[in-house]
Amino acid sequence: MSSRLTRIVGSSIVKKQAMAITGLLLCGFLVTHLAGNFLIIYSADAFNQYAYALTSNPLIYVAEAGLAALFLGHIGMAIKLTLENHKARPQKYYMKKPTGRGSTFASSTMPYTGMITLIFLVIHLINFKFGPLYMTTVDGVEMRDLYRTVVEYFASPLNVLWYIIAMVALGIHLSHGVWSAFQSLGFNHPSYTPTLRMASKAFAVLIVVGYSSLPIYCYLIQGGH
Amino acid sequence: MGNNTVSMNLNLKIWRQKSATDKGEMVDYKLTDVSPDMSFLEMLDMLNDRLIREGKDPVAFDHDCREGICGMCSLMINGQAHGPERETTTCQLHMRSFKNGDTIVIEPWRAKAFPIHKDLMVDRSAFDEIIAAGGYVSVNTGHAPDANAIPIPKENADLAMDAAACIGCAACVASCKNASAMLFVSAKISQLALLPQGEAESKQRAEAMVAKMDELGFGNCTNEAECEASCPKGIDISNIARMNREFIKGGLTNR
Amino acid sequence: MTIKKLDGKVPAGNVSEVWDNHRFNMKLINPANKRKFNVIVVGTGLAGASAAASLAELGYNVQSFCIQDSPRRAHSIAAQGGINAAKNYPNDGDSIWRLFYDTVKGGDYRAREANVYRLAQVSNNIIDQCVAQGVPFAREYGGTLSNRSFGGAQVSRTFYARGQTGQQLLLGAYSAMMKEVGKGKIKLYTRREMVELVMVDGKARGIITRNIVTGELERFAADAVLLCTGGYGNAYYLSTNAMASNCSAAWRAHKKGAYFANPCYTQIHPTCIPMHGENQSKLTLMSESLRNDGRVWVPKKPGDKRAPNDIPEDERDYYLERKYPSFGNLVPRDVASRNAKEQVDLGKGVGATGVAVYLDFLDAIKRDGEDVIRQKYGNLFDMYQRITDDNPYEVPMRIYPAVHYTMGGLWVDYNLMSNVPGLFVLGEANFSDHGANRLGASALMQGLADGYFVIPYTLGNYFANEKPNEQKVGTDHEAFDKAYNEAKDKYQQLLSINGTQPVDYYHKELGKIMWEYVGMSRNEEGLKKAISQIKDLRKQFWKDVKVPGENTNVNVELEKAGRVADFLEIGELMARDALERKESCGGHFREESQTEENEAKRDDENFCHVAAWEFTGVDNEPIRHVEELKFENVKLTQRSYK
Repeated sequence: MSSRLTRIVGSSIVKKQAMAITGLLLCGFLVTHLAGNFLIIYSADAFNQYAYALTSNPLIYVAEAGLAALFLGHIGMAIKLTLENHKARPQKYYMKKPTGRGSTFASSTMPYTGMITLIFLVIHLINFKFGPLYMTTVDGVEMRDLYRTVVEYFASPLNVLWYIIAMVALGIHLSHGVWSAFQSLGFNHPSYTPTLRMASKAFAVLIVVGYSSLPIYCYLIQGGH
Repeated sequence: MGNNTVSMNLNLKIWRQKSATDKGEMVDYKLTDVSPDMSFLEMLDMLNDRLIREGKDPVAFDHDCREGICGMCSLMINGQAHGPERETTTCQLHMRSFKNGDTIVIEPWRAKAFPIHKDLMVDRSAFDEIIAAGGYVSVNTGHAPDANAIPIPKENADLAMDAAACIGCAACVASCKNASAMLFVSAKISQLALLPQGEAESKQRAEAMVAKMDELGFGNCTNEAECEASCPKGIDISNIARMNREFIKGGLTNR
Repeated sequence: MTIKKLDGKVPAGNVSEVWDNHRFNMKLINPANKRKFNVIVVGTGLAGASAAASLAELGYNVQSFCIQDSPRRAHSIAAQGGINAAKNYPNDGDSIWRLFYDTVKGGDYRAREANVYRLAQVSNNIIDQCVAQGVPFAREYGGTLSNRSFGGAQVSRTFYARGQTGQQLLLGAYSAMMKEVGKGKIKLYTRREMVELVMVDGKARGIITRNIVTGELERFAADAVLLCTGGYGNAYYLSTNAMASNCSAAWRAHKKGAYFANPCYTQIHPTCIPMHGENQSKLTLMSESLRNDGRVWVPKKPGDKRAPNDIPEDERDYYLERKYPSFGNLVPRDVASRNAKEQVDLGKGVGATGVAVYLDFLDAIKRDGEDVIRQKYGNLFDMYQRITDDNPYEVPMRIYPAVHYTMGGLWVDYNLMSNVPGLFVLGEANFSDHGANRLGASALMQGLADGYFVIPYTLGNYFANEKPNEQKVGTDHEAFDKAYNEAKDKYQQLLSINGTQPVDYYHKELGKIMWEYVGMSRNEEGLKKAISQIKDLRKQFWKDVKVPGENTNVNVELEKAGRVADFLEIGELMARDALERKESCGGHFREESQTEENEAKRDDENFCHVAAWEFTGVDNEPIRHVEELKFENVKLTQRSYK
């Protein structure tokens, strides 16, 4: 019965679960991306070689397409859900006050922190992936000097500041999002959920500190190594 | 024993709307000599008594048992469903929770699925439709085996009771920024999924009730737990997680 | 005006076999033919919801009506304590016979034996049915159902779901009903109030309802009408009933010819939270189970205004323990209530209003520890504190009796049919099973017994014998026009008076008269006074009531006016019935009929009967018919709780 399929896939619960799954996979991406970033501290060559290895592998197109699908799926679904939610209450309250026992700053700002992250993502791609193209040779192989692009970009304190702001927004997004994803997928257990909620926050802090540490490092070294 | 000697003067801001089609507006009232021992609804009774004597239209609001169990009373009070007290329905809220000179904003539940009949009175029949879609065990009168034939672990019976405590007042929908009905629907799905009597149909039930909920125009859940915080019976959002599990289990395995 | 001897139509035979034989002797309707019959069920409490569900399951077309926005809100939901059944799971000597015996005795020998026996018989099926529906009754660690002793019963036969048994049972019946709504076998009409019974050729064939949202008067026709509309306790204005609980459906059927039985039997529950002042709108009951651990007392000295904890032990009067050493604080409801009133009348009442007695848990807390008490009564203590702002763990509770349940109601025969053919009455709305006093945890049992296990049989028998479907009556029948116009005129009249006092004023005034003269203790002089005062108040109401607005929209005042007009009539009948019943029995205490120890004294010689009143016009004297009660299995004794 095809209508059953569309009904189930289009149901509020599966939509939430789609948000949860794409969100959690994107968290995986965040971790691997962060690990790669740390090569900047190790050495310029290592970083460039890593970038080269990634981009020269033909599978990159598949990976990028997958990643793009995750992002677009997560964002598209978020927009769809937000619009639906707005429609569910056509007339707003004259006065609405949170109880203080339920929603948090993070939970109530998900669309906004998500939007900041999206804007950041676009700028991020423009600055780096499609940013100034320098070339370098490592071990006789000619490759892009992405290291130089990065370090030059973070020579500007404004760029560093914007990057950190965006990361904080992302962290806030994650502090609710990670726990929330588990809840949407049906995981809620009196013994483990409190720990999971803590872990969700810890993960957010790790992402913020990890990602923000690199621009600060690059700014401090000011192009020298 | 309450404080009988003080009386309060209040400024009320109340949503007035003559009928479903009327536009409606917030109207200001001043009410004097309110006793702190009165319930919130007795305060509204007092206002209405004065309005009637002045030849004005009294404020329509839903209420019935006035002991916190029928789920008929509603009201958004100062932006919070059932007012500021935890696990307390509007009818059990007392005026001692307010101070002399306070301004109190009173609005109806607002959701697309709950059209307004008049003033503060809304139509919650959407909840009945959701129950009719699957919130039951299909057992006709007379079909039951002996009550002790199927032992139920006390833990499950207690959890089912926790979920069954829902009074269907819809504070969860009212307080949710998305006007989502997930807590209400999940409480019923959980109650029946936790008991062997209800388990047989649990997959179809979750699917049917969620489909009806979606069809009626409730919003989506963003796991903020304002519903749980506003619920006068303290229904837990772990029920929503259980519903999510039941739904996906049913979606994947039900034929 | 001839006084009829009414026939309860109890089949002959041994009481324990009557129902089984009757079930066999009753005629059946072919399954395929059931869909040809239409049934109207008014009310969706335990009786109404269970009846609607069970009849729809059998195949009848059911139209169900409720006054609230959802059937789930009927006032059965407020019952806290539990539901009785003769399962004997605890192996403590219970049996159908014992439950039957206790219920007849508890009702002070004023109920039909055969009805009560049937109630005890089906009590076990009710528990099975509810468990199968997913009602989360309390359970033991082994997974079996938990029982407790309730209301002074010597056996543990009460099943319960936290302090919310009524709610859980109602949600079970409601879900069964919604299952049939989903299948289209029940058509549900919410926010409707029944305003007229429609009679064709002497039979009940339909109702007129008022749509509370639009004000519209609507017509519904059927082959039988079931009234499951609860009791008339709100005649007292302040009661533990819900605000919308009313007598109007039953009363308007009474005015069309249905007899009203034993209207003076009202139950005043001893453990309610006392009123705080003039603006009080209703009273809240706390479960009777509190008396298992709480000790009732007042100061020995009248007018003692000291704080309770400052009154030393030897200046306190634990009057129930003193007067009833064997039952102590667990005496039946009527005895506990009357004694509280006696203490207050002696000037020993406590609290700011002086109209309350103490229910003290400090000894229990000392004995068992606060945790144990919290576990047992935590919910109730929280509720008490929320309402009164007092902490019962530290200060004794203040309690006072309040009107809680009405045992009287429309007269019905063994088949639950009134004297009007086709009009059946179920649950609290009928008078049948509780006699002059209802035992704790028996109301839920009766509502569900009537709906699940009695009406499905007896209604079929009526259809099979009378074949009302062979002469279909449509809503265009002139009887509908007539009833419609009566209802319309009545509302028009209420709107046109435009007097000075709001409806609530009259309701409160009526409540004061009822509480004063037709309350816990009644006498001839007071009852006569009540009758004349109610007549005067009714006249004033029809001259001076102020009902704003019009009848085209939500008009809460108009709704209330219609109901209060009926309370102003039934109040008089309650007083009249109390006046004529010159004995004391159960909840009806006539000061003229008491033992030397001031206990209720029955007069079995002259009053071992049901009084069923026939309406003859609002200001005319009603006719008192009687149905003799015969006790062949239970020996009539004077109750004693010493």
